[in-house]
Amino acid sequence: MHQFLEAAIIGVGLGAQYALLALGFTLIFGILGVVNFAHGGFYMLGGYVAYTCVAGLGLAYPLAVVVAMLATAALGWLFELLLIEPLIDDHLATLMLSLGLYLIISTVVLAIFGPISMEFAFPVTGSFHAGSVYLPRENLIVLAVCLVAIACLWLVLFRTDLGRALRALADDRAVGMAQGLRPRLLFPLAFALATGLAGLTGALVTPILSLAPGVGEPVLATSFLTVILGGLGSLGGAALAAFIVGLVEAYTSVYFGGSIGALVLFVMVLLLLVFRPTGLLGRDVRGA
Amino acid sequence: MSELRIEQLAKRFGGLRVFQDLSFTLQPGGLMGVIGPNGAGKTTLINVISGRQPPSGGKVFLGGRDVTGQPTHAISRLGIARSFQQTNTFRSVSVRENIARAVLFGRRGRPAGLDRLLQEFHLTERLDEQSDKLPYGLQKMLGLAMAYAIGPKVLLLDEPAAGLERGERAQIDAFVHHVRTHGGCSVLIVEHDMDLIRRLCPRILVLDAGNVLADGAPADVLARPDVIKAYLGAVDDEEDA
Repeated sequence: MHQFLEAAIIGVGLGAQYALLALGFTLIFGILGVVNFAHGGFYMLGGYVAYTCVAGLGLAYPLAVVVAMLATAALGWLFELLLIEPLIDDHLATLMLSLGLYLIISTVVLAIFGPISMEFAFPVTGSFHAGSVYLPRENLIVLAVCLVAIACLWLVLFRTDLGRALRALADDRAVGMAQGLRPRLLFPLAFALATGLAGLTGALVTPILSLAPGVGEPVLATSFLTVILGGLGSLGGAALAAFIVGLVEAYTSVYFGGSIGALVLFVMVLLLLVFRPTGLLGRDVRGA
Repeated sequence: MSELRIEQLAKRFGGLRVFQDLSFTLQPGGLMGVIGPNGAGKTTLINVISGRQPPSGGKVFLGGRDVTGQPTHAISRLGIARSFQQTNTFRSVSVRENIARAVLFGRRGRPAGLDRLLQEFHLTERLDEQSDKLPYGLQKMLGLAMAYAIGPKVLLLDEPAAGLERGERAQIDAFVHHVRTHGGCSVLIVEHDMDLIRRLCPRILVLDAGNVLADGAPADVLARPDVIKAYLGAVDDEEDA
């Protein structure tokens, strides 16, 4: 029983991490219509910025996490404003641009830090135990921060005028513009919000998992899989799917070994796409 | 209230000329219909005035201010609102949220008579329904109410009666009367429904092959043989077929 409970909590923790990544990914797709192939790059960059702040500048880890989030948000804002915005209606061009940015980020990181994994440890160690259930404290802290970040994102999107405007552009850009919304102001903000979340996740998670130049690729794959499962462009769907993915990974890892999790997920998504092509909560797929 | 003045407006798509040397003035609080056969450039005219497409030449003035080629959001902020041929609502949210967004984004407060308009359109009792679950006619009415909810000085209506049942079309008359009376809006209507145009518009402009074929009172314009040949005759032919 304790194994079952531990897997559940680990699954929820993974789900919260995936939710931050997938929400950002689907936010960019839903609002801008852009598939951001650089999303994993921003996750990786978040990790490296936090590492540099801690190891190079001697900042406290929580401050380093904030710096990483702000730096990746700023880079995302600039990238959207300067490169994506002029080509916003060209889906292939924006896709290639984001792929190019990912390659640039990876190459720069590789050139500066080398191919070896960084020694970047989470500052809190030890386990929390209740009865026979043992959980690493670092996982619980990351889970708490991710849940707070998700709650903040929800507040921004559903309780502020900015969020209302962003959701309106996601619903129908032409109608939103006809009512006075300025995509040139709002799109970079949406992009920054999403990349900031990816950077935050990277800064939180890479000290627990690993920090190396290739860590962005599986993150991109998981984000992609999650938003397809949830329904492209659906925020609620992305969050729901993220926790499903996290729980499936945790339970398959505990009961069947690590490698079967990915297989189960891909089969699950494949079956879902056959019977419900719009994903769990997706309405329809935006045309190219 | 602001005057909408169009001076020698032109639009081309590459080598294809949509219209040229188009000039007219819509007086403050005025009402004007634009008719013409399919492909005459009526919707493109609305797209150009509302900033959705840049003009190839000419000028658009609102209240004496040159607004030519400004982006859609800027034109909207200056006071020109538009509706679309299809429904122009945010499909995934409620009627209430659609209206709230339009009022918020328009930044001019809730326009006079908006609530009464919603009552007239029987939308008040359906405020919590998701907009794309409404019958098509009500979605069109919601789209019109949203265009008014941003508090415009000039309303450009692109085929507001398209897709409506004949019995529903009287609501367009009510809408136009309402926005002029309560909001002081000028209204330009692009429409194929000639009965509606005759009923509503004291002045109509006929576009044909990119040129103004006629401009004047409906009784005069619609009696002209060249207008009948270019447009009305074609409609009759289609209906006969």
